[in-house]
Amino acid sequence: MKTITIDPITRLEGHGKISIFLDNKGDVENAYLQIPELRGFERFSQGRRAEDMPQITSRICGVCPVAHHFASTKALDAAFNVDPPSAAKKLRELMYMGYFIYDHTLHFYYLGGPDFVVGPDAPPAKRNIIGVIEKAGVEIGKEVIKHRAYGQKITAILGGKATHPVCGLPGGVSKGLNKDEVKDIEKMVKSCIEFAKFSLKLFDDIVLKNKAYVDLILSDPYQLATYNMGLVDKNNKVNFYEGKIRVTDQKGNEHVKFDVKDYYEKIAEHVEEWTYIKFPYLKAVGWKGLKDGKDSGIYRVGPLGRLNAAEGMATPLADKEYKRFYETLGGKAVNSTLAFHWARLIELLYATERAHELIKDPEITSQKIRNPVGEPGEGMGVTEAARGTLIHHYKLTKDGLIDKANLIVATTNNSGAINMSIRDAAKGVIKKGNVDNATLNMVEMAFRAYDPCFACATHTLPGGMPLEVNIYDHNKKLYKTLKQNL
Amino acid sequence: MKTIVLGVGNLILGDDGVGVHVANELKKHINDPNITIDEAITGGMNLLDLILGYDKAIIIDAVKSGNGENGEVRRIPLDDFSTMHSCNPHDVSLIEAIEMAKKMGENRIPPEIIVIGVMMKEMPCEFGDKLSGKVAAAVPKAVEMTLNEIKRNMKISG
Repeated sequence: MKTITIDPITRLEGHGKISIFLDNKGDVENAYLQIPELRGFERFSQGRRAEDMPQITSRICGVCPVAHHFASTKALDAAFNVDPPSAAKKLRELMYMGYFIYDHTLHFYYLGGPDFVVGPDAPPAKRNIIGVIEKAGVEIGKEVIKHRAYGQKITAILGGKATHPVCGLPGGVSKGLNKDEVKDIEKMVKSCIEFAKFSLKLFDDIVLKNKAYVDLILSDPYQLATYNMGLVDKNNKVNFYEGKIRVTDQKGNEHVKFDVKDYYEKIAEHVEEWTYIKFPYLKAVGWKGLKDGKDSGIYRVGPLGRLNAAEGMATPLADKEYKRFYETLGGKAVNSTLAFHWARLIELLYATERAHELIKDPEITSQKIRNPVGEPGEGMGVTEAARGTLIHHYKLTKDGLIDKANLIVATTNNSGAINMSIRDAAKGVIKKGNVDNATLNMVEMAFRAYDPCFACATHTLPGGMPLEVNIYDHNKKLYKTLKQNL
Repeated sequence: MKTIVLGVGNLILGDDGVGVHVANELKKHINDPNITIDEAITGGMNLLDLILGYDKAIIIDAVKSGNGENGEVRRIPLDDFSTMHSCNPHDVSLIEAIEMAKKMGENRIPPEIIVIGVMMKEMPCEFGDKLSGKVAAAVPKAVEMTLNEIKRNMKISG
């Protein structure tokens, strides 16, 4: 099969679909991921009050409400031309650390970790948190539940509501912290630091000390040499809440560093006819198709993207782990997709250490938490969602209503890379038309590492991680279908 | 009997928000200290956190169904779902969350969990704050079914 036409695929809604095309030997010619994209956000937001956007956008995604809430609040800071007091920024960042603590914990133990802890070829019924508990023990399960809940509680204390925060306002936050709350948070944070250290040790024992897993991480089908993107502070250390957007190349050298207000000069979006999802790329490098390497403008975001795009972590223990990460995996940049999991745990440790710094900061109980806003205009805001760089951009009318809204969400930033990772994994593991559930999982692992967030209704029953894999033979005839949660 | 009635859904995603619309309507009919009415835009672990400690949980939600008509309302005991998930890939199903909690010795899981499901063929993919005709018409039906479900408890416990 020389050319690929994609007629069997229709754009789809409602769930994820991977289509794998085989050649006449039964090896993989190409593979495509299609995921649903929610539409009509710009029209939906037009004419709404700008101050409502942090609440509205926190409902876009059942996964990242806190990230949307603050990307939105920061876009409003810019649009109303106001700089929040430093105490307000610290409160926002502290809350953000709570979000990273529960989100990264959930991903490692419930979603990504089971592949390693239970084993990539274990039956699906065992490859879940229950399997992890059976293998690692009930006590560990209790620790996981406890610390995920701590992350949630920290977010709830600061945000007003457990899952959908209501605290962010242009120019600051609506609520400060009292001394009792500080005590509660400090106790939880200290415990979370120990939990993060434990999680890294667990990763060491189970993954890094197992040669088969290290070989898997470093194996060809899971390598992808794209550019990397993430927010950094003034020392080029990883920052989740603020800073400049830094992009590094395949060797870890700085390609460009810019303010979010210049994002549309640096990033463009490519459209393919087979999917609603757009493919962002670096304008200066250009779109060269779904390819990696120096000449292709595709970049990665998320834990691995952030570590690669920075020069270290801003807290001591996490920075030590950062150095060990690069020493172990062969220097910069690390291009192994499965290394996302390790990077995620290093970030978990950073989030706990940074939360500790913030809660010990005397300014954290300050009641000067809001500055008066200026005239409405245009503004962009950026945060690092757990799964990558998230940008909100609003243009307001003179009455403070939304005139235009544009969002670039983390999973969209990763869409080119996710597609390539799936294709390369499929090429690596599917040979001579042999496909079974274990093979499918090896393909899925490439995709799960990114911790992708499908735009979808928050709670579709029966739902699940709805994924359908269709395999087509060299005549483009449907050869096999594997379904999960459909 | 301490009961929580939880409307689940996303108010900015059209028909997906039906559970929350039903919960808001129910608030007009119910004034009983033993009954909590709340809304949630979440699944799995967070959903479990919200229902812990109650004797009974009634979850009102959109249910994707291959064979149901849009807007049909059904009473479905949780055990009848083979899988029940929030559809995002970054969460576990409520059933998985419950199983996990049981393994950890959690003793506050409601003994009875009932889903009042509003059937939908496809879940909405477009932002909007209004319900479509058939789903809007399902709201009073779902309200009535939920009220009956609550009354059933009272008979049993009373």
